[in-house]
Amino acid sequence: MSDWTQNLQKTRYVMDTLLLISFMMVSAPQTTGVPLHEWLSLLFVVPFAIHLLLHWDWIKQSLRRFSAKISAKERFSLVWNYLLYVVMLLATVSGFLVSVALLPAMSISFEIQDFWSKIHHDSATLIMPMLGIHLALHWSWIVNLTKRMGKRAPAQ
Amino acid sequence: MKYLQYQWKTRLVVVLLISIGVSILLMGLDVTPWAQQINLRGYSHGADEGEGPNIPSFLLYVLPFVKELILIGIPLLLTLLWLKLTQVIGRAR
Ligand code: HEM
Ligand code: HEM
Repeated sequence: MSDWTQNLQKTRYVMDTLLLISFMMVSAPQTTGVPLHEWLSLLFVVPFAIHLLLHWDWIKQSLRRFSAKISAKERFSLVWNYLLYVVMLLATVSGFLVSVALLPAMSISFEIQDFWSKIHHDSATLIMPMLGIHLALHWSWIVNLTKRMGKRAPAQ
Repeated sequence: MKYLQYQWKTRLVVVLLISIGVSILLMGLDVTPWAQQINLRGYSHGADEGEGPNIPSFLLYVLPFVKELILIGIPLLLTLLWLKLTQVIGRAR
């Protein structure tokens, strides 16, 4: 493989792959067991934050682009990314509020509400189709980069 | 890694502060009538301890991923189809 660290798109590709894999691990608590699920979710903050840092410029411009003249697809993607962000936070927050291993291990305990159990289940399930649409909106990028990953590209 | 390292500390602090802020707002859902209604009604799912479904045990480890692939994959394919269709229609016009 060529040196992906020297190329922004390839850096994103590697980090996005890690993000997808860690998301799929986090979303399978029946496989990992709940305690491991909780610790993995805490770790998941890292690839997630990296995803946002690598799109810093997009985020910075995004608020201004709401009122700019952009295509319907771009506008949809804009709104979708914000929704995805909120639902992802909702899953994380509700996860902490139904924690049975991580917070108790830190000697934090409180009564778990049925409301947050339902929200955790519903929001975590909702992210999956939302992610499918997120990926579809970037499909040509994904196909392109998959082809380019093996090749040596001029640094940019 | 040079793209990741560029001003990462300030940016990470901003991302975290905003996320924590939004999270605290989301925790406020706690006091809404909607939450109280769900708490009153109660919520449970899945089988009780020891009452697992009657299927080969390896499937228990594989099925969550099958569920993910379907829940991610089908909306993905439908969106691709939609994008393709609107493209074709747009070109024909
Ligand atoms: C959880 C798994 C996720 C995966 C696998 C994923 C994957 C991707 C991919 C492949 C791209 C296009 C390539 C790129 O420029 O890096 C992308 C772009 C982007 N994603 Fe995600 N993403 C995920 C979650 C999220 C979430 C939760 C948000 C919301 C905060 C988000 C916000 C963005 C933004 C702002 C862009 C750039 C948008 C653009 O250029 O139009 N992603 N993502
Ligand atoms: C992005 C973040 C997260 C995602 C996508 C996620 C996803 C899931 C999913 C899909 C389930 C299965 C729910 C069900 O079938 O009812 C689950 C259960 C659970 N999660 Fe998370 N989770 C996340 C974060 C967290 C965090 C941060 C914690 C705690 C620190 C946590 C604690 C739990 C617990 C205790 C359960 C079992 C309770 C139950 O089944 O209702 N999760 N999670």
